Amino acid sequence: MAVPTADKVQEIREVTRMERIGAHSHIRGLGLDDALEARNVSQGMVGQIEARRAAGVILEMIKEGKIAGRALLIAGHPGTGKTAIAMEMGKTEALTQAFRKSIGVRIKEETEIIEGEVVEIQIDRPATGTGAKVGKLTLKTTEMETIYDLGQKMIESLTKEKTKFVQCPEGELQKRKEVVHTVTLHEIDVINSRTQGFLALFSGDTGEIKSEVREQINSKVAEWREEGKAEIVPGVLFIDEVHMLDMECFSFLNRALESDMAPILIMATNRGITKIRGTSEIGPHGIPIDLLDRLLIISTTPYEEKEIKLILKIRCEEEDVEMTDDAMTVLCRIGMETSLRYSIQLITTAHLVARKRKATEVDVDDIKRVYSLFLDESRSTQFLKEYQQEDHGNQLKI
Amino acid sequence: MATPMAWMDLLQNAQKTCLVQDGRRKLHFTLQDGRELAEEYDLNTNELVVRKWRKKSTLGGTAKWEYEVGELLAPRSLDTDGLMESTSNPIFVRKDTVPAFQWRIRNLPYPLETYSITCDEDQNIIIRTSNKKYYKKFRIPDLERCNIPLDQKCLSFAHANNTLIVSYKKPVQILDMEKALLVEFKKLKASKDGDVDCTPS
Repeated sequence: MAVPTADKVQEIREVTRMERIGAHSHIRGLGLDDALEARNVSQGMVGQIEARRAAGVILEMIKEGKIAGRALLIAGHPGTGKTAIAMEMGKTEALTQAFRKSIGVRIKEETEIIEGEVVEIQIDRPATGTGAKVGKLTLKTTEMETIYDLGQKMIESLTKEKTKFVQCPEGELQKRKEVVHTVTLHEIDVINSRTQGFLALFSGDTGEIKSEVREQINSKVAEWREEGKAEIVPGVLFIDEVHMLDMECFSFLNRALESDMAPILIMATNRGITKIRGTSEIGPHGIPIDLLDRLLIISTTPYEEKEIKLILKIRCEEEDVEMTDDAMTVLCRIGMETSLRYSIQLITTAHLVARKRKATEVDVDDIKRVYSLFLDESRSTQFLKEYQQEDHGNQLKI
Repeated sequence: MATPMAWMDLLQNAQKTCLVQDGRRKLHFTLQDGRELAEEYDLNTNELVVRKWRKKSTLGGTAKWEYEVGELLAPRSLDTDGLMESTSNPIFVRKDTVPAFQWRIRNLPYPLETYSITCDEDQNIIIRTSNKKYYKKFRIPDLERCNIPLDQKCLSFAHANNTLIVSYKKPVQILDMEKALLVEFKKLKASKDGDVDCTPS
């Protein structure tokens, strides 16, 4: 009885391992050289030379960190290489929080720090295997020694932390020092809006933060900056599938980008001229003209056959799948006729089918089999249309 | 130039609340610069039991109370703090008597000859141990507020029951000021036990 169970466990483990490979896991960078020229195939990127070169220029802008409040739109057909980061909520509070989370303020603050040489770390696990771990940490300076009790979180971070060697400090272990740290505007908002703190304590979320609080903080931060106490680090906010936002969000974005505390905004969409959500108007990329006017647009173009083949090859390597040349050609055709995403999905499934028949390489038959098993978008649509007609007919009869 | 008068003025101009509870006179001051000061005096001996400060942190929001005299008696949680001193460590607490400032360091088992206690030029009192187990550098804010320099001759220390007791004889100016303040505090109208006065008719 024990043997089949072990087998099952084995199978499950393998499936989970495959799921862990993300759709963009083969991307390592933009694949540009020092002069910001795109290399044809590099760091997992194939083709889209123009788009990559443009993205490189933007990247430099961001690295310089001097400009904020710029926005960028990456547009192109589905599956032409716009990165996928999901954005679920689309209302202004969520947007504001996202905006303010992407701006850092570097500031000096006096805090209590503990600084000492570690004499001993002792972590006890309970004998039952469950329950809280107990830890003790002994620190010393040239003058004294102190034992600290460690909390659960501290034990975890201690086990992860890389060690850095410093000279044994002098004097007291605990002292007040000025340290520079970076907090986001959103964190400052939360600290200051929590007057009746226990509400947030129970729900864990911050809810809506009053605009008065934000305005106060903006002016305070501006004051710090003028006095040279703080430095502003503009960040990058990425909104994918930007056509999902509605008119309310767009008009908010318009205004928010004008603020001198705005981050660099990168948006991606695959829509052409389509209806703007929340209105009856039609706009390019589903974006109102006045916002579009503020954007730098990078466009990605559909891949050519050669490029699709290269991408599929890279994905095969990424997923540790071996494939015959014929199978690759067939898969490439499928990729041309349906979509790149669909053909990438087929790699994993075909690999499973090939393994079922104990083959090490994926062959044309495996591809054919999964092609018939799984529908692509257009075949699925067609199927639904037929089905709908039938259904409709049935209803008429009644 | 800070003088005993300056400190008294500061308290005079602050917003004050007074409460008599648990045999203590509890005072709360909100100073004009936004800092908060809370003091507790024993009703029988007139000793200062607690003096703690709280100020707004740089990023806004209120920080924790910082104890100048007395100690935080509420238990602390390891989960929120992450790291805290083990209770077996020496615990440093200031606990004044009427004629002297006094500090008690509990859980300090070493014999008397281990300790050397000195004043340095920067107005710090430093406790050193010859076995390098304990070290503490502290100031007397009361003297600083009145601009009175430290004097090694006023310092004395004793050791008993695992506790090192350090005393510093209060100078005449401080004694006079504390007497005057006490008179003022007794004049303050104190509400009893925090209950709102509510007599149903």
